[in-house]
Amino acid sequence: MKQLICCLLATILLLSCKKEGCTDDNALNYNPEAEVNNGSCQYYDVTPYNFITPAGFPDMIIPENNPTTLEGIALGEKLFNDPILSSNNTLSCVDCHIKNSSFSDPNQLSIGIDGFLGNRNASTLINLGWNSSFNWDGSAKTLEEQAFEPVTNTLEMHNTWENVENTLNSNSEYLSLFKQSFNINYIDSVHIVKAIAQYERSLVSANSKFDEFYRGEESLTLSELNGYAIYNSEQGDCFHCHGTLLFTDNLFHNNGLDSEEPFSDIGLAEVSNNPLDNGKFKTPTLRNIEYSAPYMHDGRFATLEEVVTHYNEGGHYSSTVDPLMKKLGIGLQLTNQDLADLVNFLKTLSDKEFISEE
Amino acid sequence: MKETIQTLFITSLIIMTFSSCEKPNQTDLTINFTHTVDAEELTTNSMIYSNSAGENYDVRTLKYLISDITLYAENGNEIILSDIHFIDISDESTFSFTVEDFPNNNYTSISYKMGLDTIKNTNNLHINESYHSAMAWPETNGGGYHYMKLEGAYNNDSTFYNTHTGGTMGGDYSFNNVDNISLTIDDDLGNVSININMEINNWYNSPNQIDFSSYGMGIMMNMMMQMDIKMNGITDVFSVDITK
Repeated sequence: MKQLICCLLATILLLSCKKEGCTDDNALNYNPEAEVNNGSCQYYDVTPYNFITPAGFPDMIIPENNPTTLEGIALGEKLFNDPILSSNNTLSCVDCHIKNSSFSDPNQLSIGIDGFLGNRNASTLINLGWNSSFNWDGSAKTLEEQAFEPVTNTLEMHNTWENVENTLNSNSEYLSLFKQSFNINYIDSVHIVKAIAQYERSLVSANSKFDEFYRGEESLTLSELNGYAIYNSEQGDCFHCHGTLLFTDNLFHNNGLDSEEPFSDIGLAEVSNNPLDNGKFKTPTLRNIEYSAPYMHDGRFATLEEVVTHYNEGGHYSSTVDPLMKKLGIGLQLTNQDLADLVNFLKTLSDKEFISEE
Repeated sequence: MKETIQTLFITSLIIMTFSSCEKPNQTDLTINFTHTVDAEELTTNSMIYSNSAGENYDVRTLKYLISDITLYAENGNEIILSDIHFIDISDESTFSFTVEDFPNNNYTSISYKMGLDTIKNTNNLHINESYHSAMAWPETNGGGYHYMKLEGAYNNDSTFYNTHTGGTMGGDYSFNNVDNISLTIDDDLGNVSININMEINNWYNSPNQIDFSSYGMGIMMNMMMQMDIKMNGITDVFSVDITK
């Protein structure tokens, strides 16, 4: 018995000589030099971000392995605005996805770090949490998957993920932010795209004049109402592709832009390998369309007037043109006043608060 | 003796364990949605069909909603197999669904509704369903959903028809089909299929001859056309058979 007490005392004495601190490497304040855990460990604690579903919107689908948190969104926003992702530290996501343009590029095509032009107009980045595929050709199925692409694209950021990881892991601020957001000690590409995707999901725009009208808080002018009626009739027939309060069907169509085949850009067919998909592109949302000029996948139209004129003329025949373009060769035969009203209606989809808020 | 009893006991335990693994009388019931033109399986994007008005046409898009699929048994039992099922010709995963371990009974008829009745067809009611964005119909035009989008080209490949059906401005053009069947599920049949076929050409032929050149474009707001198509639908568009 005496021996036992001696042993215990000796152990306690020995222990007390050792350095105290947090010995759990899962904790935020893990101290690798500490030998005795003194109960000071602080654990990963994130603040869930609760989306409020706008009136008339479906529930947002958020991947189970990337729940949205305030910490993740803030980190994603920092990465989105930081040229650190590009190989020569000159180009960030926001340079081609500019907030005043509803996070699209006012230039027809965007210029990458080596001075080369891309081949499609940079898409608007709003309400992406309700999209079921990404990029004009639907090449990415999730936002996380999409974010992998521009970093290594030679026409865009022209970087390697190995280089991005090395750069970020030698940056103490990013090390600390990734630790806070994801509880990781080594920053990898998977968590970089997760943070960016969280930030992009938070870009919800649903407070336009039209939303106020939908909620019964605002009225539309006679011109806007006439434009809305044309939009929703089979005369204008905009709603079959740009329907619901998301103003997109999330599908792909050939809307009669070109008659010459093969098309210079085959769109969806590049991903599906199905020639019947030649010239089909993803329907963009029409929310904030006033801000996101130029228009179409190749930015060929500078103004909304040019866009409605294209549809009013009926579009061009090609072998994959959508059957919804049923006034091909005939045209919608809208009057100039109708066309002006349609544009006025489209401008009610502008969310000024979203564009201007800091 | 003791050993024998022990052996017997263990053997019977093993047998009981094994036999309890087998599910007795299991039959899985699959509902298939099939599509034909003139009794031949549909080939999309090919102008090989003609309607009774003599117009050639192809089929490029077919999306539709079938609701209240119900099986009726001899003893009065009813089983609802699906509340609403969405079929999209471009997505094979929508062509069937299976109800596992279907209860034993003598089933004598099946009913299914083309489209959605007024109760099921209100604005944004199915907002979180996969078909919401493809089938929604603008609120200002009555809201709710298209029942069917059947689209393609006719006569040449640059004139299009859009056979869009649905209950606009509060109208209800859905219709119920009832087919008698003889299906006894009383033992392990494995998989039984009930096939619901849509004969596409019959939407246009009888009793109302519908030609695309007069009605091909926008028919959603044309109540006469919705009625005519509904009548054709009731007459002979759908049929049912069973494969065991």
